Amino acid sequence: MELSRQEAASALRDIEAAQKRSETLQGYTRSSPHLVLWGVLWVVGYGLTDLCPQYGRAIWLVITAIGLAGGFAATRRDRNGASWRYAAVALTLAGFFVAIFAVMSPVNGRQVAAVVPLAVAAAYILVGIRRGPRFVVTGIAVAALTLAGFFLLKQHFFLWMAGVGGAALILAGLWLKRV
Amino acid sequence: MSRGDDIIHQQTRLQIMATLAALRPGDSIEFTRLRAIVQATDGNLGAHIATLEAAGYIDVVKDFVGKRPRTRVALTRSGRSAFARHVDYLRAILDGTATHDRPAALGREDGGRS
Repeated sequence: MELSRQEAASALRDIEAAQKRSETLQGYTRSSPHLVLWGVLWVVGYGLTDLCPQYGRAIWLVITAIGLAGGFAATRRDRNGASWRYAAVALTLAGFFVAIFAVMSPVNGRQVAAVVPLAVAAAYILVGIRRGPRFVVTGIAVAALTLAGFFLLKQHFFLWMAGVGGAALILAGLWLKRV
Repeated sequence: MSRGDDIIHQQTRLQIMATLAALRPGDSIEFTRLRAIVQATDGNLGAHIATLEAAGYIDVVKDFVGKRPRTRVALTRSGRSAFARHVDYLRAILDGTATHDRPAALGREDGGRS
């Protein structure tokens, strides 16, 4: 008895499906610590900005440096140059935001505090279209929460981003780690 | 032309091997995550893992994280080679270049695809 073409095709489809599920879950696992880290940093950064808005720029310089250093360290365990790709992506994003705010200047703190999360949310949605639906859900949630806070809260937008935005990122990170 | 592998060809074992082959060499995956990927029960997955381990295709490492037991599974070098040969065999059938050597034990009760 021979293995038919249909059986072979079916087996190859099973292989492809299993490998796709595996890659999706691996991607979730690798992304999880980054979301939790940035969630905590959003809680701290936006919280401090709400308390001392005059120091917002200095606060976010420090927060961003901590986040990038932490992200770089988290990718050091991965092989195949993942940490250097992370550094390259981080530099690209930093350059992008500097350019955007230079072009759009003058911008106020609320606008900056909304544009960055919206760009991050868009990036998650774009990544998720190829890499898994949980990224899409995360991106939509972050974008929706950011827009809701920006348009509905005039006084406590930073506090909203600290509590709700940061918590959303932390929960998304924990969700990605779950099987 | 490479021949098919009757141990790998069973559907759940094929999914296990495909999942492990998608990892980088030397990486392992937790039992619970593997169970979610192949969508098998604990007992069913455990039996197929034992078969693959006995064939030398996978390594199973059991340890504790705190007080919680953890089982991790990884592909061995010979397992990776065997899986690659089996995929070549399947592709050759589709291409029409296979020698039509049916894997020796495919007629066995537990060797066919369910």
